[in-house]
Amino acid sequence: MELTHYLLLAAALFSLGLYGVASRPNAVGLLASIELMANAVNLNLVAFSRFQGQQTGQIFALFATAITVAEVVVGLALVIVLFRSRGDVRLDLAKELKG
Amino acid sequence: MELLHVALAVLFVPLGIAGLLMIVAPLRRSGRAAGVLSVLGSLFALAGSLYLFAALFGASGSELDRLTTTWLPHARLGAGRLASPIELGVLLDGISVSMLVVVCFVACMVQIFSLGYMSHEPPADFGRYFTWQSLFLFAMNTLVIAPNLLQLFLGWELVGLASYLLIGFYFRKPSAARAAVKAFWMTKLADMGLIAGLIVLFRETGTFDWTVTTPAATVVTFLLFIAVMGKSAQFPLHVWLPDAMEGPTPVSALLHAATMVAAGVFLIVRADPLFAQAAFTREFMLYIGAFTALFAACIAVVQSDIKKVLAYSTCSQLGYMVAALGAGSQVAGFFHLTTHAFFKALLFLAAGSLIHAVHSNELRQMGGLFSKMKLTSICFIVGALALAGIPGLSGFFSKDLILEVVLARGAYVPLAALLVAAFLTAFYMGRVVLLALFGAPSEAAGHAHESGVSMTLPLVLLSVLALGSGYAGAQLSGLYAEPVHFHLSTIGIVATGLALTGIAVSFWMFGPAKGGAAVQAAFAPLGRVARSGAVDQLYLLGYRRGLRGLAAGAAWFDRYMIDGAINAAAYGTLELGGRLRRLQNGDVQTYLYVVAMAAVLFALAGLVGVG
Repeated sequence: MELTHYLLLAAALFSLGLYGVASRPNAVGLLASIELMANAVNLNLVAFSRFQGQQTGQIFALFATAITVAEVVVGLALVIVLFRSRGDVRLDLAKELKG
Repeated sequence: MELLHVALAVLFVPLGIAGLLMIVAPLRRSGRAAGVLSVLGSLFALAGSLYLFAALFGASGSELDRLTTTWLPHARLGAGRLASPIELGVLLDGISVSMLVVVCFVACMVQIFSLGYMSHEPPADFGRYFTWQSLFLFAMNTLVIAPNLLQLFLGWELVGLASYLLIGFYFRKPSAARAAVKAFWMTKLADMGLIAGLIVLFRETGTFDWTVTTPAATVVTFLLFIAVMGKSAQFPLHVWLPDAMEGPTPVSALLHAATMVAAGVFLIVRADPLFAQAAFTREFMLYIGAFTALFAACIAVVQSDIKKVLAYSTCSQLGYMVAALGAGSQVAGFFHLTTHAFFKALLFLAAGSLIHAVHSNELRQMGGLFSKMKLTSICFIVGALALAGIPGLSGFFSKDLILEVVLARGAYVPLAALLVAAFLTAFYMGRVVLLALFGAPSEAAGHAHESGVSMTLPLVLLSVLALGSGYAGAQLSGLYAEPVHFHLSTIGIVATGLALTGIAVSFWMFGPAKGGAAVQAAFAPLGRVARSGAVDQLYLLGYRRGLRGLAAGAAWFDRYMIDGAINAAAYGTLELGGRLRRLQNGDVQTYLYVVAMAAVLFALAGLVGVG
């Protein structure tokens, strides 16, 4: 296995996540897609760390995971508020800020 | 005693009294005490000015003393040029001291006269009157002893203020309030010329001194002369003076006959070195002065109000002075200013005494007053004869001198105008004397009686000067560099003949014979024109058509051009915002997509090396 394979996998994951972010109507799905993008980045970090023989990238990946968890908590809290106020979590319907 | 200390006391004692009366309201409202205080102030000023006048004859040169204090030390002209420091102070020389005596003397007489004339006013108004009188005396003296044109300008504006306050003394009467505002407006309009002249002078020379030599003299003096036309009531800026007769009669005597209106003439006398450099301005002055002399005399002939006759006569006589100065004779103009101050103040005060007796300005309400009020009548006749230029009285000498200098100048058209005006002057004064003092007494005149001593004493003193001040002319001319020879000239004989003819004609028309009804009938349309105030109508037309048109134009420009630009900017912003808001479609996923695509674009740009 070479570094390139890992990077290609991460790029594929990132693209999948981006597609999800741009297309999922469901807020929870959107959050999951963001997780996918974040973990694609983590995968890059770990891969670079492994192939360059440095530990920094792995430690960084740990931190990134922790932050992502916190972010998801905030995101889910927003989703709950959205659900309480509107009765559903469809983002394509939540367009109150339309100009 | 230091002369300067005396001069400063003459200046500041009336100011102190005016300030005291302004601040201490109970004193002012007490009336009588305020009046006496003010009269004492004017007596003090008179004594001081006479002391200075006496010192003048012991002096070697024409300039006695000069004291200045720096007001603005570091005035700068454009381009970093330093101007000389701007000063305030006292300049005592022949012109200023003799003018000071005239001003203080007439002011003193008028204030004493006012004690009697204004005695029926409520005490508060009485006190207010004397407050402004004292203020006026200070303002006029500031102007007279000014060592430069800037201080003269300060005094000039202050006398304008005093004039406004005193014309509007009966401000509860709408016509008096209107007259005060009109006088203020007209003179302020003319004063724009003075300000502009001072600015030009200062820019060109860096000083407010009138002795400088400058190529801009013509422009400067012309602008100054505009202010003179306003202050000294020269055509066409004279219209405020007849209306100013709404003020109490002693005010008319002091401000609008003897001193304040003469300030314009005084300015020309003072700034003679500047005017001497401006041949064009002098030519202009000669014609304006002569025309005003004739024009105002014509109107005076048909007035039925005794004060209006005297007011137009003042315009006319100021025209003589301006013409004399235009002909280049400082002495002739200033000499006539002096004699005129005395006999015109006398005429106004005597007229005030008559008005006080019959409670009316109308000549028709008078008549036959000579037998009731002998002293006043004799004084009035003395003044009238002096004004008419009868030989031996003061007016004869000064008017004769003016005619001589105009003749020597070779200006025959103005000379003719002045001669006709001399005839008319004698005629209208004869008319006033005959209508007011002789003939059948009216009902009001039947109850008339002689005025009190506070009113007759100033009349007698002024009569003495109206009789005798002409003989001081030779002395007066000694105060200047300009030599003047007094002698009986051909032109003097012609003028005297015209004056006597004028009196004879008036006697024929208004005397016992009551001749000349046909003449009166023939001139009736002309009289109506003169009484209609055609110049006033022109101003009104100018106001309605010109000024309002200009205002309408300005309003249009403001509404459609300036407001339009602002509205266009506001509308444009609104419209742009309306279009831009379409971008905010509210779909969070679109935003995210745009952000991602933008990131990709930037990354690509980075790769191909655009940034």
